[in-house]
Parts: sequence; structure tokens; C-alpha cells
Amino acid sequence: MSFRRTLAITTRVLAQFRHDRRTLAILFVAPVFILWLFSLLFSGQSDPARMGVVNLDRGPLGEAIVQELGSSDRVTLEALSAADAATQLEEGDIDAYLLLPADLSATALQGSLRPELHLRGTDPGAESTVARALAQSLPGAIAAVVQSGPIPFALPTVDVHTSTLFGNAELSTIDLLGSAFIGLLVFFLVYVVTSVAFLRERSQGTLERLMASPLKRSEIVLGYMIGFTMVALVQAAEVLVFGIWLVGIYNAGNLALIFGMEALLALGAVNLGIFLSTFARSEFQAVQFIPLVITPMMLLSGVIVPVSSEPDWLQVVSNVLPLTYAVEGLKAVMLEGRGLESTTVQVDVAVLAGFALLALVAASTTLRRRVD
Amino acid sequence: MGEQAALAVEIRDVRKRYGSLAALDGITLRVPRGQVYGLLGPNGAGKTTLIRAIVDLVRLDGGEVTVLGHRMPDARVLAEIGYMTQAPALYSDLTAEENVRFFAAIHGGGDVDAALRFVHLEDRRRSVTSTLSGGMRTRLSLACTIVHAPRLLLLDEPTVGVDPQLRAELWDGLREMAARGATIIISSHVMDEAERCDRLGLIRAGKILAEGSADELRALAGTDRLEDAFLALSAAPS
Repeated sequence: MSFRRTLAITTRVLAQFRHDRRTLAILFVAPVFILWLFSLLFSGQSDPARMGVVNLDRGPLGEAIVQELGSSDRVTLEALSAADAATQLEEGDIDAYLLLPADLSATALQGSLRPELHLRGTDPGAESTVARALAQSLPGAIAAVVQSGPIPFALPTVDVHTSTLFGNAELSTIDLLGSAFIGLLVFFLVYVVTSVAFLRERSQGTLERLMASPLKRSEIVLGYMIGFTMVALVQAAEVLVFGIWLVGIYNAGNLALIFGMEALLALGAVNLGIFLSTFARSEFQAVQFIPLVITPMMLLSGVIVPVSSEPDWLQVVSNVLPLTYAVEGLKAVMLEGRGLESTTVQVDVAVLAGFALLALVAASTTLRRRVD
Repeated sequence: MGEQAALAVEIRDVRKRYGSLAALDGITLRVPRGQVYGLLGPNGAGKTTLIRAIVDLVRLDGGEVTVLGHRMPDARVLAEIGYMTQAPALYSDLTAEENVRFFAAIHGGGDVDAALRFVHLEDRRRSVTSTLSGGMRTRLSLACTIVHAPRLLLLDEPTVGVDPQLRAELWDGLREMAARGATIIISSHVMDEAERCDRLGLIRAGKILAEGSADELRALAGTDRLEDAFLALSAAPS
């Protein structure tokens, strides 16, 4: 193993990036663009959610809540009868409705505010908006009633009873998905760029030249790995900065640990890209591995549907796929604020490192020296 | 023996089949050091496969290859070989100079400037390779092959698309390298190039049909032109 020759590959790979602006653009613009789209879809700050309100309250509090909610620009509010609200929710004309029971003000006087929130359960973005709008409106409504003082009472505890028509309620979607998503984004883009770049090495005939040179196969793979990982690390840092500070993905964990996990994912993606490209004869075939291998890995990773809610046999598949551990680890770190002292995180980091190493060995050993 | 061997390349009864096609059908060849050996033959005769066999890029079905005293496959000898593929294999998004520098680096170093001068591309060193003409790319590919001053050059049709004047200059350069001790095996189907080789091998259907200098081959076929000799010897039953 010669460090000089390995470095020659790395230097060349980086020089190619310098000349290939379009690929650089894909690596650095695409994640930001996708994250931005993603934030629009899930953070619910674009279109206001469509909300109904059924005010049966005989006291003043119901009207105050309707007033307060109506002034929120997060929702469009429509007063409905209980029957109409149920039908419209069923039909999908509204995303949610708030039912203010007849005894709302009365129970509030006794110390407990009990509105009912009925969600459709199919549009996490809209529903998180509704929940946020409600959370913001209730204190204002209570304060307004207390200040105007027709019936003085102590501040009640708020106890929103939430029910969902379909599915289950996952409210803070951007936070739940975002943490795992930043890892998958890096993995996906690094895989695409590496596999196509390595395939081009084969199709333009330069791989044959490398094989006729003193380069060892391991030096080629290592050189590629170092070069692409360097670019991938910059990308990972960019995604992290954009995702956490600009999109506002919730993070309670250690940034260095998150970056380290992204780095391990990038290493695995580079080596997987080289490995799979040995089974493709053209760039087109390399891209075909995306729906075949990469998309299923991402779908089964628990990023959209939790692994625990998959059928048993599918959970077995999920549990051998490395991305599952990336999603689990990133969620544990970012949402629960766990660090390396947690066993879960230790296992996740170990699996990711093992995957990167396994893919490296696989890439080095399947790279054929001969042309036939 | 070993390093002292007078032969740069020794090929003994080498065989390679692709399905029912015999690409190499028992080829035996000896090329002394410092010789310029030309492989002449039509497309599909087995020239490329033979050159690949010398650098261990094809798995042989039989026979053996010895390069610079080392029985192949032997990774140590690869640094001494300059291999130029038939189609110019270059990094199209790198500049001319970056390509040459890379191939120098993986062979343990070389004179990048001299290699670019050798192929008359010193003015285009900063040009991105995809902007170069076909002939320039062929020359750049040659520069990448010779940059590490190899002792054995394997050139698979290196002058395709290069204009006649420049081709003559490249040949002067190759002859000069041979004079300094480099061995050159070159495949071609251009007859005027064949005249400049020390020795020629006529190859067809994976077999060497005849061997000798251009004069010897003309005498053997009883013709005045090498092209006629080539046609006559190819047609003769072996």
C-alpha cells in the first residue's frame, strides 16, 4: 500500500470536482433545496390550515377562544354545527375542528379547561399547524376573559382532548422526520455522485489504464473514499447548518456527534457506490440501483413509518439495513438529546462504522483487475 | 537471468478464447530490449487482446508471458510499463496537464513538462481535455503513457486521427526512446508506420502468420509494396 499513489487518486478526484461545477451544484444546492421543500411541506407555514369550530359553550370563554383563533394567520376558521363539522372532517373539507363543549366555561371556573380537538389524521403538516395555533390562542383567550372580568376565576389547567379520525396523531412532523432526513439526504446524494463517477472511470477506459499501472485495487478505492468523503463532509456540515439554524429542525443533542454520524453514513455511501458500480455497465444502470436498493433502504429505515409498526418479517429486513440505525441514532441524539453514553447510540454508531468498513472491503474485493 | 535477460517480452504459446472465438490461438513472440516491434493485422485479429495479455488484463487460457525478466502476473513490473489503450482513455473534465500529472503520480513520478513537449501539447496544457480535438486527445494519451519513462511501451494504435506531419514527429520521438533503450510494441494497420518498425508480426485470427523486418516480409511475399506483402501473406494458407 503506497500512500503517495492513494493520494494521487484523491488529488485527482478533487481536481475533477473543481472542474465539474454541475456535480458540485448537485451536492451543495440540492440538499438545501430539498430541505427547503421539505420544510414547506411539513412545517405548515405556507398555507393556513382549514379549521372548523363548534362553539357550544354557554359561558364567555368559548367566544373568546373563537375570537383569538380567528385572528391567527395559521388557520382559516369557520363556525360550524357539530354535525356539519363531523361531515366536513370526514370529507376532507377541513383539516380539523375544535369542539368547545357546553360546560367549557363552567369547568374552567372549577380549574380545568377542556376543549376537544378533532383531527383528520392524514396531514401531519396541517395538524401540527392547528395544534400550534390552538396552543397559542388558548392563553390569550383566557387572559381576555379574566381581564374583562365578568366572572373572575383562577387560571385553569388546559387539558385538550385530541382525537383523530384516521391514523394516529404525529404532530411535530418536521422535527420527527427532519432529524433522520438530514442523514438520508447526505447518504443519497453521496451515493449517486460516487457510483456515477466510478462508473465513468470504467466506461471511459481509464480504469483499464489504472489496472495496468502499479496501483493496487485497495489504493484506488481508498483514494476515492478519501476524496469523496472530504466533499461529503462539507456537504454534511452545510446540511446540518441549514437544517438546524435555517429550517429550524429541533435538536437537543451534540452537534459533533451528529456530524460524526453523518460522516460515517457518507463513508458507507461512497463505498457502497463503488461496490454497486461494479455490477453496472453504464451510468444508466448505476442509476437504476436507486429504486432497487437505495429507495427500499430509505423507506424501511423508519424515517416515514416507524420500524415497530411494520409487519414482523419486514422488521427483520429493516433491522439488517444500516440506514435503520442511522435514523434511530440521529433521532435519539437530536430528539432525545442522548450522547455516546447511551447504549442505543453506541450500537447505532458501531453499526454505521461496521457498514462503512464492510462496504470498503466489498468494494476493494469485487473490483476486478481484468477486463474480461 | 532476471534483470539481465536480453528479452523485454517473451510470449509462449498464449491462448485465449471468448466463447467459440479464439482471440489468441497459440501465439509465441520474442521481443529483444530496445526493439520497436509492430503488430500488423486487420481489426479483430487479436492485437488488442495480445497487448492486454502482456499487462495481465486478460485471464489467459494457456501459455505464459515474461516481461523484463519477470514471469507475469507480477505487480512489480507494472511501474516499468507504459500502456496506451486504443481509444484515448483520459479524464475529460481535467486539464491536459492534470491528466499527465496524475498518470505520473500513480507510476511513481515523471517529467510532466517533457511529456507534454514530446506530443507538442505544451501550449494546451491548461485546456480542459473535453475541449481538445480527437488527434490532440490521442497525443495527450500518449503523453500520459510515456511520462514515467517506462522501459516497455505498449501502444495500441497510437496514431489514429493524428495528421501525417505530426505522426512523423511522434515516430521520431519513439525511435529516440528506443535508441535510449526502451522497448516498444505497437499495433497498427497503417502500412507507412510499419516501415519504421524494426520487426513486424503479421497477426490474423489470433495467429502470427509471418514475422520479420519490412524488407524480409516483402522478399518473402515477392512483392514491392508492404501492403501487397501483407495481403499475400494473409491470404496464404498457414
